[in-house]
Amino acid sequence: MASLALASSIVVAASLAKTEHVQAELVSERTALIPGKPITVALRLKMADGWHTYWRNPGDSGLPTTIAWKLPEGVGVGALQWPAPRALPAGPLVNYGYEGEVLLLTGLTVPRDATIGATYKLAAHADWLVCKEVCIPEGADLDVELPVAERSDPYPQWGSAIAAARAALPTPLQGWRVNARGDGSKVAVSLTPPDNAADPGALRFFPDEEGRIEPSGKQLQERDSNGSYVLTLPAANQLAPDFKRVAGVVTASKGFIEDGERVAAVTIDAPLVGTVVAGAKPSVTSTPVIDLSPPANAVPDSQISFVVAVLLAFVGGVMLNLMPCVFPVLSLKALALAEGHADARVQRLQGIAFAAGIVATFLALAGLLLVLRGAGEQLGWGFQLQSPTVVVGLAILFFALALNLSGVFEFTALVPSAAAEWEAGNPYADAVLSGILAVIIASPCTAPFMGAALGFAFSQSAFVALAVFLALGLGMALPYALFAWFPGWRRVLPKPGAWMERLKQVLAFPLYATVAWLIWVLGAQLDNDAVIRLLVTLVIIAFGLWSWRIYRGGTGRSWAAAAAVALVAAGIVAWPLLRGGEPDARPAVASDAAGPWHAFTPTAVSDLREGGRPVFVDFTAAWCVTCQVNKRMVLNDPQIRDAFASHGVELVRADWTRRDPVITRALAALGRQGVPVYALYRPGKEPLLLPEVLRKRTVLDALATLGPAQTVTLN
Amino acid sequence: MPMPIRFVPAIVAFVAGAACASSPAPDFTLSDTHGKPVKLSDYRGKYVVLEWTNPECPFVRKHYNSGNMQGLQKEWVARDVVWLAVDSTRQSSYEYKTPRQLGEWMSAEDAAPTAALVDGTSATGRAYGAKTTPHMFVVDPSGNVIYSGAIDDRRTSNPADAKAANNYVRAALIEALAGKPVSVAGTTPYGCSVKY
Repeated sequence: MASLALASSIVVAASLAKTEHVQAELVSERTALIPGKPITVALRLKMADGWHTYWRNPGDSGLPTTIAWKLPEGVGVGALQWPAPRALPAGPLVNYGYEGEVLLLTGLTVPRDATIGATYKLAAHADWLVCKEVCIPEGADLDVELPVAERSDPYPQWGSAIAAARAALPTPLQGWRVNARGDGSKVAVSLTPPDNAADPGALRFFPDEEGRIEPSGKQLQERDSNGSYVLTLPAANQLAPDFKRVAGVVTASKGFIEDGERVAAVTIDAPLVGTVVAGAKPSVTSTPVIDLSPPANAVPDSQISFVVAVLLAFVGGVMLNLMPCVFPVLSLKALALAEGHADARVQRLQGIAFAAGIVATFLALAGLLLVLRGAGEQLGWGFQLQSPTVVVGLAILFFALALNLSGVFEFTALVPSAAAEWEAGNPYADAVLSGILAVIIASPCTAPFMGAALGFAFSQSAFVALAVFLALGLGMALPYALFAWFPGWRRVLPKPGAWMERLKQVLAFPLYATVAWLIWVLGAQLDNDAVIRLLVTLVIIAFGLWSWRIYRGGTGRSWAAAAAVALVAAGIVAWPLLRGGEPDARPAVASDAAGPWHAFTPTAVSDLREGGRPVFVDFTAAWCVTCQVNKRMVLNDPQIRDAFASHGVELVRADWTRRDPVITRALAALGRQGVPVYALYRPGKEPLLLPEVLRKRTVLDALATLGPAQTVTLN
Repeated sequence: MPMPIRFVPAIVAFVAGAACASSPAPDFTLSDTHGKPVKLSDYRGKYVVLEWTNPECPFVRKHYNSGNMQGLQKEWVARDVVWLAVDSTRQSSYEYKTPRQLGEWMSAEDAAPTAALVDGTSATGRAYGAKTTPHMFVVDPSGNVIYSGAIDDRRTSNPADAKAANNYVRAALIEALAGKPVSVAGTTPYGCSVKY
């Protein structure tokens, strides 16, 4: 007791160095140095939230922490002992290091002839690189003064922490057999457990040296028939020469049981059998996507292989059929099938033709996009509806179709007889056309799955992009083709009858709704004048088509003239809208940058992030139905608004209703080509990409990763 | 019969050489700091050095503050080597530099690359698997990467180390221009992570 009191009173507090992001100090396990005995001292680094320092092998980037000792004569120094690191993703790259707090241990030996009662100053210069996104090299001269005494006690503040850190240092794996075999660009490390060993859980290997194992590569864990745990590790792309041993740290989620103790990290060092060639380039092909959604639209790994992308695109294509904006066309097609020809063969071929129309349109779109991309156009998916010309054209087309369904006029009577014959005589051409129409309407509905696949396709070669689009088209066409091909499935359709006319009339209403939506989109793109111009156009068209019907009914020619005049007038009124040209540069648009939402500018996100607050970006467009549903059902919900406010989240809305190269590039930077995209930028962490179909729960879960909510004073 | 045996080592060397024969350098077109497009394949027939850069990175500043990078650029551009500095910082990062900002920084540093290129989508960085700033690549006249990795063997952020280090890029260029195979064709790069 006396010695503790004495020792404590003599000890001078360790000098503490504080930088903006790190607190550094030298700390000792014991209160005194005992002649001839070892003692453990530690460089303690406490990093600010979200910042990290590096392990002895820093991984893809970074630099290990170094310590240069300046010690009294005769004090021996051992090697730096590193606690097991963690894998820290930096975008698509992976670093090895520490977050929070780390104790880097060094064993010192005190000379036998040290004078009892003397005070030794243990000094060191430490250098470390501390990184978040930014990297800052820092260093400090540190020291700790300890008395030389005959006995010592655990240092009150650090003794137990250092002892625990020492106990947790990775040590060679006991009782297991470790083999390493090189096979092409892979290294298989097999860990054979002793009898009755408990399952160590998920393993991860951290190589001691750089240039051995690709840090960001996937480590595959399997159990072979002998009961060995086999870790298949990708060889480094930049393979260093003389790869003779596989040495490093293995961490285990459930731990290895050694002498009844759970050990979370061990070292292995096994001779490498066989040869290893350099591995593939690291997969830096996509941005970090942490998807909180259920597996349905989760992209589990940030590395989407070609096959997965094509599969996702295919499923996305199938799902497009369920999207609200495809519904009218789907209904029309179903109606056509119910009315259909008696000849099953004709129907099959029509089904195929329809599918071909869909696929061809997707390919044509892909081709067009590739051409535009090549020409440096900053265009993305859904761009058709960014053009007012296309919006007006579609509104007129759908309005006319709706009037037809309502029975205002008969469709066959509208087109010249030659074309009518051509259509009647070519049901396949007809089917191809409806396939094309289906795609044009579907494109703005970026279904779940599509974002990632499209982002993938656009960062890839033309071949891959075309393959992804082909898969999208095939997916969308599949239900129709199946429907036409298997007559049995058609039996679920009701028999033709009087109901058909009524159903046809009912189906007009989704089309009217689509027209209403397109008018709203146009209003968002241009202005009120454009809206009234389009509405007047539609009224004149309605009058013209109605006149046409009276004329067809056998009444005088003057009605035909009225119809013709009306159509010409409609053309004149709509011409300024159809003529096209770019919408002016006035800041758009959906009047959404109001309230708590900031408008998106190239620097908005970085400026706000610099304030240290989390930032939520809503990439949206007026023509994107999913976006609007998400906005109304989730983002505008009072509970969600409160949650944003209480977490101090800055809200940014990037409105892509009209072409905007800045937003297009921002989307590309996130690996996406379409909206909606919801990104939550968190201080000191990876940005979180939320699923395209938002639910309140998802948003709240994402916000919960920011830490506990704070009360924010609003003035 | 001894003759064929004598050839075996040569054949092995040839096969090994072919196996690790430098991979083709992915082509790219990026805008320089004046907005002019620069296409890698337009430089076929010349040696091209690709320097991944980011003015905000202390490891990049190590080589610019010491004058090391500018010195290398001048030394090799003068010998008809094309030097392209590429900044693949993603546009949404706050370390992102517009072409103009990058150009101003390069002028302020008295840098002398053939062109400094902005890769705001990071697509070119990804295509090369560029990990760090700096991360250096040397492309030969037929468009193959003959060196990829660190700029030198002093893995620090201390400017004083830049001059004293063994510079891998210089060594590779000296050998390549003398018609010799590059003896150190790949090293592990060091520095800040590329801001993907």
